[in-house]
Amino acid sequence: MRRHERLIVAAASLALFALWEGLARLGLVDPSLAPAPSVVAAALVRLAGRPEVLASLGVTAWEVAAAFLLATPLGLGLGFLLAEVPALGALFRPLVNFLFGVPKSIFLPVFILVFGVSIPQKIAFGVFTTIFVLIVGGIAAVQSVPPELITVSRAYGASRAQIAREIYLPAMAPILLESARLGMVFNITAVLLCEIYGARDGIGYRIASWGENLQMPQLYAALVIVAAAAVAVNEALRAVESRLGAWRERA
Amino acid sequence: MSRALVAIRGVSQRFGTDGAGVAALDGIDLEIPDGQFAAVVGPSGCGKSTLLSLVAGLRQPSRGTVLCDGEPITAPMPRKVGMIFQEANLLPWLSALENVAFPLKLRRVAKAERLPAARRMLALTGLSGFEDRLPHQLSGGMKQRVAIARGLVQDPAVLLMDEPFASLDEQTRMVLGDELLRIWSETRKTVLFVTHSLNEAVYLADRVIVLSARPGRIVDDVAVDLPRPRTFTMSAGERFGALKDRIWQHIKHAERP
Repeated sequence: MRRHERLIVAAASLALFALWEGLARLGLVDPSLAPAPSVVAAALVRLAGRPEVLASLGVTAWEVAAAFLLATPLGLGLGFLLAEVPALGALFRPLVNFLFGVPKSIFLPVFILVFGVSIPQKIAFGVFTTIFVLIVGGIAAVQSVPPELITVSRAYGASRAQIAREIYLPAMAPILLESARLGMVFNITAVLLCEIYGARDGIGYRIASWGENLQMPQLYAALVIVAAAAVAVNEALRAVESRLGAWRERA
Repeated sequence: MSRALVAIRGVSQRFGTDGAGVAALDGIDLEIPDGQFAAVVGPSGCGKSTLLSLVAGLRQPSRGTVLCDGEPITAPMPRKVGMIFQEANLLPWLSALENVAFPLKLRRVAKAERLPAARRMLALTGLSGFEDRLPHQLSGGMKQRVAIARGLVQDPAVLLMDEPFASLDEQTRMVLGDELLRIWSETRKTVLFVTHSLNEAVYLADRVIVLSARPGRIVDDVAVDLPRPRTFTMSAGERFGALKDRIWQHIKHAERP
């Protein structure tokens, strides 16, 4: 974004918050449903000082990270396998494409039956939701490698290991990171859904209970925290992605 | 200019299993002496590119042998043979300099050695000052110059060129043709140059090998007796026309548009 565009966006956002604040103070919106931003901000400061809330955030972060660290190598590995072994690809790609399109939330009760309401259940469901994005991403990454670059490298005497390192890896890097980023979005959603649906701890569990008790300032404050964390993770991955993908002609 | 640097002996190439597939080349016998610029022309699909990929060691002939410097070619020999393709096929994430140095990197030549070598090759192909550009920041002609520099960086005895100028516009093609002749006269490589363009073949080469329609056989081997250096005015001359006409007589019957 150019500088004046940034200014416009910042001004518009501020205006929106000011409008909301005004409407809430004037009683034109129901403060029990939409508390004023100043009230939410105060709740945010209070929550940030409560150890049990921080512990809940830690639980959620742990579940999200564990699911991501399991799903990413597994999913991309399966994707490479399906792309590189034609027989496996022909056999399993229709199934992957089918499951890719099915909303994963309908399987949540099954995960509770198998794992109970537990942290492993959250991680397992996170992995299950994320892995299809990564399988499909892994396949796309392999297919994005230009075959003529492999021919060139072979003509210049590259070994298989060199072709993997010098051609496959850099050619696939942008799509791999893009898939990881997309997978992370699905992953966070899945873990929070699990926690809201049924849990003993985690920020999703807190959000659900504040919601049930109509503690709207806390609820909105938690939303701000979750949104900030999710955006931070997303932008960090995007920064790496655009650095490694700078050679792509979108400049 | 005497010893055969590249020797192709009784080479046939079939594609598909158990010889049931398509025959691409049939009984090719060809010797290219050291330092010669040889062009290969022929109707579309006659196996010109297949012939080059055999010399490049990218595939093995169904029958016959291909020798480079007396040694049978069973795998790519990048130190002896440099290959340049129709598209520049540069690695898009590497700078021009790193692309030229890439064959040396594959051979684990140290950076301190390979980058200066690549710099010299870029200077030879007229690209000094463009070392740090990424491929998408270069024009088509510049990309092909980088590819030529990459082909030359290991100082191979043989340069294989598979329609290297086919995807460039006419002016760029003419400029690069002259550049190639300059580089060739400075380095005295043995060049095997596949092209669709009879003009290009006669203008550049010492000798034009004419292949028949598939399966490709050698139907003529034309010595181009035009003096060097070649000039643009020669291409309007009588001798040039006569040579082109002789080659065209072989090809026109085979091309069915």
